Amino acid sequence: MSTTPAKPAARSLFVPVDCRIVSITELTPQEKLFRVEFPGGADLGHVPGQFVQVSILGLGEAPISVASSPTRRGSFELGVRRAGTLTGAMHRLKEGAVIGIRGPFGRPFDLERMGGKDLLLISGGCGLAPMRSLIQYCQDNPDDFGRITILYGAKSPEDMLFKDEIRDWEASERYACAATVDDVPGGSCYDGPVGQVTRLIPPLRIDPEKTVAAIVGPPVMYRFVIEELKKKGLAEDRIAVSLERQMRCGVGKCGHCTIEHLYCCLDGPVFWLNEVSGLRGAL
Amino acid sequence: MKALSLTELKNILRSLEDRYDVRAPIRLADGTRALGRLDEGELAVAGGRLPRKPTDVFFPQHDLIFTAPAEGAIESPAAPGKPLFVLGFTAEDLDCLEFIDRFFAAHYRDDLYFRLREGAVVGGVSGYCGEEGRMMRIAGDNCDLELVCDGERFIVAPRSAKGREIEGGIDCAVTDATLEELRQASDLLSDESRRILQKASELIRADRVPDDFWAEIGDLCIACTGCNLVCPTCTCYGVQDRSWRDRTERSRMWDSCQLDGFMREASGHNPLGTEALRSRRRIHHKLAADPTRWGHLTCYLCGRCDAACPTGIGIQSVARRIVSRFA
Ligand SMILES: Cc1cc2nc3c(=O)[nH]c(=O)nc-3n(C[C@H](O)[C@H](O)[C@H](O)COP(=O)(O)OP(=O)(O)OC[C@H]3O[C@@H](n4cnc5c(N)ncnc54)[C@H](O)[C@@H]3O)c2cc1C
Ligand code: SF4
Ligand code: SF4
Ligand code: FES
Repeated sequence: MSTTPAKPAARSLFVPVDCRIVSITELTPQEKLFRVEFPGGADLGHVPGQFVQVSILGLGEAPISVASSPTRRGSFELGVRRAGTLTGAMHRLKEGAVIGIRGPFGRPFDLERMGGKDLLLISGGCGLAPMRSLIQYCQDNPDDFGRITILYGAKSPEDMLFKDEIRDWEASERYACAATVDDVPGGSCYDGPVGQVTRLIPPLRIDPEKTVAAIVGPPVMYRFVIEELKKKGLAEDRIAVSLERQMRCGVGKCGHCTIEHLYCCLDGPVFWLNEVSGLRGAL
Repeated sequence: MKALSLTELKNILRSLEDRYDVRAPIRLADGTRALGRLDEGELAVAGGRLPRKPTDVFFPQHDLIFTAPAEGAIESPAAPGKPLFVLGFTAEDLDCLEFIDRFFAAHYRDDLYFRLREGAVVGGVSGYCGEEGRMMRIAGDNCDLELVCDGERFIVAPRSAKGREIEGGIDCAVTDATLEELRQASDLLSDESRRILQKASELIRADRVPDDFWAEIGDLCIACTGCNLVCPTCTCYGVQDRSWRDRTERSRMWDSCQLDGFMREASGHNPLGTEALRSRRRIHHKLAADPTRWGHLTCYLCGRCDAACPTGIGIQSVARRIVSRFA
């Protein structure tokens, strides 16, 4: 279910489109949110869960999930953690700078299968960025989904992304939202829950027939969260996972992102758990 | 059918140079054979498969993706002036080419590959022109035309409209040569290796090959990447930018799943973090993962990885070990 590239076919598949960074917000000391505009304000044309290849000439490309919903038009957002060469360079950019964009690529969240269902959206660390695209989408299409529960775990209060939005979600009638941190350093004024995100699952009341869960987070998180969801009776084809692999091309050619016979960039990054749970090294 | 002496063949290839960028097997100064232009060395059609994969004319080891001048728009590499005419594919090489044509066309059409592939004429070489004159399997339809050596001459067998057009333009005596006997000899070639490969594939897919085995193979691998670099169905690549004062070039280069960094992510997570996993990946990909994805094996037994591997763990060798130990 991959979508076609947003830009005309005459352009090479591998040539990025110049896009302007219209604003930069510091989310944490490691993460920044970039609001990016296509030439002429054209829509990126993505679906929540998809990613783009961000390009900086001289440094290469990196896959970054779209952090905003397609319902918020005119520009899109990328939440980027400083991890290495390219993401480090991105963090040094100023508003008005130009970056290259290819995409959107990859299989998004299956909005059809999620339609009408209660959603349980679980993310860890940087994973809240792609999840936010889906959360915003639900916000803007309130009639399409049932009850929405958002669970988020960060390392420490300082590492929490989108703190203001989390507060809004917590306050909103539409959502049940809970965030937790693994550790609170001495001297912090944080007074929220402490512990792994998995601890937030047991108290939930879930109707497994009516619920679809989605998980985006660091590799270590998946096994434990899945275990808890299974205890709640959720079937594997009701659990969506977004997986991360090294990616070079984003379009199923370079071979860096394979998971056995699947290509994370084409067949994913969002998979139903039953599609990958039997595959070596997937989770 | 039309049949050509080596001299006639050379002349025909020369005459095609008006319309095509002609590449054919030539002998290099060091005595090895490789695809090259006719003025780069003596034509050397006979001698079996070329050491280097001939598919590299369409998917080169290093390929420019684009040039970005310091000022102005990104420039994609220009389309070649003349289409390629490439002679020198064995039947197995042609099977590999047929697969990577499908691979590069699937989902997103790889315009860099098809920039060179589209309009190209592909020529197979078969018959009694293998190593020491041994029989090489006759390919059939996976090419535009095939030159089948009867021991002396090359019988021209057109396999596509383009091939027929080229054959029609060949000015030489039509002989009573036929492919009949040659085809019978080709059919008699052993397919034992294929059976072993198929069997190994079944064993891997049935989960009959334990991790210990891959650790053993991994211990033998010195990560020289030779197996990947010679394989016509290995398509993995990395991307690199290089900058000069006036421009940046982005290009792609063949990569190897036998290298530790192949899948390592910035976070340090590495799904192929051990030599055992990487050796498994190399074999599993062609004998198990691809069969699931494409419905067939993607090793066509061209023989190159077994010839290239300095420690004797090319795919045929590994397949034999698997069958002898786990069948
Ligand atoms: C589908 C997907 C979505 C992602 N979404 C986000 C996001 O929203 N925000 C975010 O901060 N990060 C995201 N990442 C991770 C991000 O791509 C890596 O942090 C980034 O590639 C590191 O590049 P670098 O040049 O800074 O690091 P370096 O370590 O210098 O990386 C060098 C090269 O290795 C490759 N590489 C290394 N690690 C990864 C990796 N984890 N994934 C893919 N390629 C890698 C890239 O080709 C990169 O150019 C995502 C990864 C994937 C696969
Ligand atoms: S024999 Fe080796 S090099 Fe040739 S197609 Fe099979 S795996 Fe590739
Ligand atoms: S050629 Fe042999 S030693 Fe070299 S990387 Fe391949 S398997 Fe390992
Ligand atoms: S990123 Fe290149 S194949 Fe998936």
